[in-house]
Amino acid sequence: MDHPRRKLTRKKSISYAKWGYIFIAPFFITYLFFTLIPQFLTVYNSFFESYRVGLKQIGPTFVGFRNYADLFSPDSSGTVLILKYAWNTLVIWFIGALPQFVVALLLAVLFTSTRLNIRGQGFFKTVIYMPNLIMAAAFSMLFFTLFSRVGPIQALLEQWGVVDQSFDFFSYKVTVRGMIALMNFLMWFGNTTIVLMAGIMGIDQTLFEAAKIDGANSVQVFFRVTMPLLMPIFVYCLITAMIGGVQMFDVPQILTKGSGQPNETARTLVMYLNGYLTNKNYGMAGAISVIIFIITGVLGGFVYKMLSAQYKTDKTPHRRARG
Amino acid sequence: MKKVFVVLMVIAMVFLAVSCSKGKTETATKATTQGKVFNIYAWNEEFKGFFEKYYTVPEGVTVNWIINPSDNGIYQSKLDEALLNQANAAADDKIDMFLAEADYIGKYVDSEYTMDISKIGFTNASTQYEYTIKAASDSNGVCKGVSFQCCPAAVIYRKSIAKDVLGTDNPAEVQALIDTWEKFDAVAAQAKAKGYYMTASFAETFRTFSNNCTKPWVDANDKLQFDDMINAWIDQTENYIKNGYTLTAGVWDQEKTNQMFKDGKTMCFFGPAWYYNFCMTNAMDPVQGCVGDWCIVKGPQAYFWGGTWLLAATGSDNTEMLKDIFETFTKNEDVCSKLVSNENQFPNNTKVVEKFANDPTYGNTAILDGQNDIAVFAGLAKDIKWENHTNYDQLLNEGLQNKLQEYFKGTVDKETAMKNFYQYIKETYPSIKL
Amino acid sequence: MTKAKSNIENTMGRIQLIIIRVIVYTFMILLAVLCLFFFYLMVINSTRSNAQLATGFTLLPKGNFLVNLKNAWNDASINIPRGMLNSLIIAVSSALLTTYFSALTAYGVHVYDFRGKKFVFSFIMAIMMIPSQVSALGFVQMMNKLHLNNSFIPLIVPSIAAPVVFFYMKQYMESVLPLEVIDAARVDGSNEFRTFNTIVLPMLKPAIAVQMIFSFVSSWNNFFVPALLLDKAEKKTVPIMISQLRSADYSKFDMGKVYMFILLAILPVIVVYVFLSKSIIKGVTAGSVKG
Repeated sequence: MDHPRRKLTRKKSISYAKWGYIFIAPFFITYLFFTLIPQFLTVYNSFFESYRVGLKQIGPTFVGFRNYADLFSPDSSGTVLILKYAWNTLVIWFIGALPQFVVALLLAVLFTSTRLNIRGQGFFKTVIYMPNLIMAAAFSMLFFTLFSRVGPIQALLEQWGVVDQSFDFFSYKVTVRGMIALMNFLMWFGNTTIVLMAGIMGIDQTLFEAAKIDGANSVQVFFRVTMPLLMPIFVYCLITAMIGGVQMFDVPQILTKGSGQPNETARTLVMYLNGYLTNKNYGMAGAISVIIFIITGVLGGFVYKMLSAQYKTDKTPHRRARG
Repeated sequence: MKKVFVVLMVIAMVFLAVSCSKGKTETATKATTQGKVFNIYAWNEEFKGFFEKYYTVPEGVTVNWIINPSDNGIYQSKLDEALLNQANAAADDKIDMFLAEADYIGKYVDSEYTMDISKIGFTNASTQYEYTIKAASDSNGVCKGVSFQCCPAAVIYRKSIAKDVLGTDNPAEVQALIDTWEKFDAVAAQAKAKGYYMTASFAETFRTFSNNCTKPWVDANDKLQFDDMINAWIDQTENYIKNGYTLTAGVWDQEKTNQMFKDGKTMCFFGPAWYYNFCMTNAMDPVQGCVGDWCIVKGPQAYFWGGTWLLAATGSDNTEMLKDIFETFTKNEDVCSKLVSNENQFPNNTKVVEKFANDPTYGNTAILDGQNDIAVFAGLAKDIKWENHTNYDQLLNEGLQNKLQEYFKGTVDKETAMKNFYQYIKETYPSIKL
Repeated sequence: MTKAKSNIENTMGRIQLIIIRVIVYTFMILLAVLCLFFFYLMVINSTRSNAQLATGFTLLPKGNFLVNLKNAWNDASINIPRGMLNSLIIAVSSALLTTYFSALTAYGVHVYDFRGKKFVFSFIMAIMMIPSQVSALGFVQMMNKLHLNNSFIPLIVPSIAAPVVFFYMKQYMESVLPLEVIDAARVDGSNEFRTFNTIVLPMLKPAIAVQMIFSFVSSWNNFFVPALLLDKAEKKTVPIMISQLRSADYSKFDMGKVYMFILLAILPVIVVYVFLSKSIIKGVTAGSVKG
C-alpha cells in the first residue's frame, strides 16, 4: 500500500542514513551523560549502605537488597511507609485529575459545538490557561499565606461564621489534600481543555454531519464519534498528567514545609525521596528512586502500549486523506 | 515565533541591564583589585547585618555570603558538602568562615574542618563569656572560633497585661509571682480567666526546659534518651493546650508574632536579646505595635537560647582577616557597645556589659519601657553552663516540636506523634538507636 | 400543520438552546473567577502593609504597593532581581536548546531511514514517562564530583534530550512536513544541515514557538533539581528563593513583602503570556492537529 513517492524517497534516502545518526546524536549523547549514567549510579547506590552522620561518611558498604527490605518492612504500627506515601500521591493526584479531565472534556465539547456557538472563548481560554504557567512553588506559597491561620481566607470564613477561630486548614487531611488537588486542578484543566479542543476541531467535520443525518443525538455523537477519534490526544494528555502526578513535589513540599502534615497524609513519594537526598542517605534515596522508577515504568507501559497502537492505526487513513 | 523570541530577549536584556547596574555599585564599593575572596556560610542575615555595619573589609577583598535556611537541616547539609569539598576547591572558593549555632556547633568544632584560632594569632580574652569559649572548643580544649553574642534568655512580658492580671507591672514583683513553674502555671490560669494567653506558642517554653536537661539527647552508645525536662515540657504543654493557656502556633509562626501587636492577648514571650529584632518586629510596628509596654525578668528557670559562633574553616587563605573579625566582635569595645546601643544585642564582652549594666542613664527604649535589660541579662549570663549538647540537637529539637505540634493541635494522638518523631529520627540520623 | 409543528420544535429548540447557553456561560464565569480569585487576592495583598494584612480579608487595594516593591526588590536576604536574572538565563537557554535539538532529533527519525530507527523511536517514547527525579541522586552525585554544582550547565544542557518535545515535533512533522520538500532541496544541492536549518525549521515555527514557551515556563518554575544543586546566593533561582520564604528564619518577614515576592516570581511569565497568549493558544492548536 506504499505510495510510489514514498518508495522513491526511501530508495534515495539509503545514502543519507548516516545523517539520521548524526541528527539524533546530540540527543543520545546528552541523554547518556545526564540521565542514563546518573540513572545507573542511582540504581547502583541503592545496593549500598551509604549515609552521613555529621561530617562522617558511613559506607558505602554493599548490602544487597537490604535497603529495599527496609523500605517495605512495616513500622511499629504495621504501616509500610512507602506504600502510604504512594497512596497519598495517588489520592491527591486523582482528586485533582478527575475534575480536570471531566471539566476539560466538557468545555472542549461545548466550545466546539457549532450549535451552541459560545462567544468569548478567546478571553476565557486565556484566563483558564493562565494558572498553568504559574510557578508551582509560588502558587503553593500563595496558598499557604492565603489559607494560613492568620490569612485572609480564614478571616473571611470566620467573618461569615463558616468556621471558628480554632479551625486550621493545615490540620485536616481533607483540607490539605484538597488544597493541593485544587491547585493541581487549576493549573492543569485549562491546558487540557485547549489541547482537547484542538483535538476535536481536528476531527473531520463531515463525520459529525454524517452522524447527525443518521439521527444521532449529541451524547451518541460524543461517545461514538468524538471520543474514539479524540483518543490519541486524550491519551497524550493523560501521559502528561501522569508524569506530573508521580512527580508531585513542589506544591505539597512548600505548602506543608516538607512535613506532609497532617500526620504525613500529604507526603508524596518524591517528598520522601527528597528527605533522604537532603540528608545524604544515598542508599535509601537510591532504593526509593528505583521504586518510583518501577511505578512510572508500569504506569507508563500501559500508556505506551495504547499510544503506539493508536499511533499505528491512526496513521494510515490520515496519510491517505492528506496525500 | 519571532515574537516569542523578541519578547523573551527584551525581558532578558532588561534584567541584564538592571542587575548589571546593581552589581556595579556593589563591586565599586568593595573594589576587587587583588581578587581576594572571603567566603562566609550562614543560615540567616543577622550577623551579615552587623558585619556590614561594623566591620571594615580590607581593601581589595570581596566578601561572599552563602546563606541557606537552617530548617530541615538544609544549612548543615549544604555546609557539610562544601566542607567535604574544601580540600579540592580553588582558593577563592574555599570557605573562610562559617557560622554555627549552639545546637550543632560540636559537630564542626570536633572535626578537622575547623582550625585552631590560636594558630592564626587570636587569643581568647577574659572578657569573653566562659561558655562561649567552651562551646567553640573541641574535646582537647582547642578553640576553633568565637561567638559575637551571649544569649542568656528571659521572660519578656507585656506590662499592660501583667497589670491587669497580676495587679502589678513592676519587674521585681512580677518575677516574684512567676519564679517557679508552679507559680507560672497558676498565673497562666489567672491570665486565662481574664481572657489572655500566657504564651502564644505551644513551644514557647521548650528552650527553657531543654536547656536545663541533665542528660544529652543521645548517650555514648548512640542511644536516644528522653530527659525528664523534655517530658516536663510535654506535660506542661498538654496542660496549657487543654486549658487554652497557649496557642498551637509554632515558635516562629506568624500567628504567634501577631500576638505582639498592640491588640495581642498574650502576656509572656521567652527569648534572649536577639529575640527583640528577630521575633518582635510586630511589637515595634509604628502603628500597630506597642513599644514601651514590655519588661524582662528571669522567669521560672534560667536558660540560654541560641547564639551564633563564628568558626574558622581549615584551608582559609584569609587568616589575617579572620583574626581581625574575631577581634572586632569580641574585643573591640566600641563595636560591642554599638551592638548594645544600636542593635539591642547582648555582646560577648563582660567589660562592655558591665559598663551598660551599671550605667544609670542606659535603658532599652527600642522595645522595653526603658528598663536596663543588660543588667538583667548580665545577672543571668554568669550562670550559663555548656553541657549535655550533642551534634544532633538542632534536628531533634526541631523534629520533636514539629511532630508534637500535630498532637497539640489535636490532629493525631500522642502515640502517633511519637511514632512520627521516631520515624523522622530514623530518616534523619540512621545511626541513632531508638 | 407540519409547518406549525416544526415551528414549535424550533421555538422549543431555541429556548433549550438559550437555557443551555445561560448554564454554560455561568459555568464559564465561575471557572474564570476561580482561576483569577487567588491571584487577585495576591495582587491586593501586595498593596497592603504588614499591619494592614493582619486585619484580615479585603478585596480593595491599599496604597502600600510601592513600599512593598521597594522592600522586596532591595531585600538583603532574598535578592529577587538576581534570582530572576538567573532563572531567565537558564530558562531562555533551555528553551532554545530544547526546541532546536528536539526538532533536529525528530527530523532525524522522521526523514531518514537507518538501522535501529524503530528502536530509537520506541526508546524515546519509552523514556518519555520517566520523571527526572528518579535519576536525581546519581545526577547530583555526578555534578558534585565534576564541581558543576552551583553552575547553570546541569540545568541547561540536559534540555537537549527532551522526549516530550521530541514527540511533539515528530507528530507535527508528520502533519506539515512533506518529504517532497526535502527531496526538492536535495535536488537543488542543499546539504542536509542546511536543509534542516533553512527550510525545515521555518516550517516548524508554530511548533517551536509553542514548545519554547512551554520549555521556558517549566524551566522558570523548576524547583527540585536546582534546589539540590544551587546554594550560592548569586546562583539561586526564583523558586528556591520562594521556598525560603516558607522557612522559619523568615517569619519575621513583613507579609506585604512576601506577597510582593510571590507576585514578582510569577510576573515575568504573566507578562510573556499577556503578549503572547493568542499565539500560545493558537500554537497549541496548530501543533495538536496531527495525524
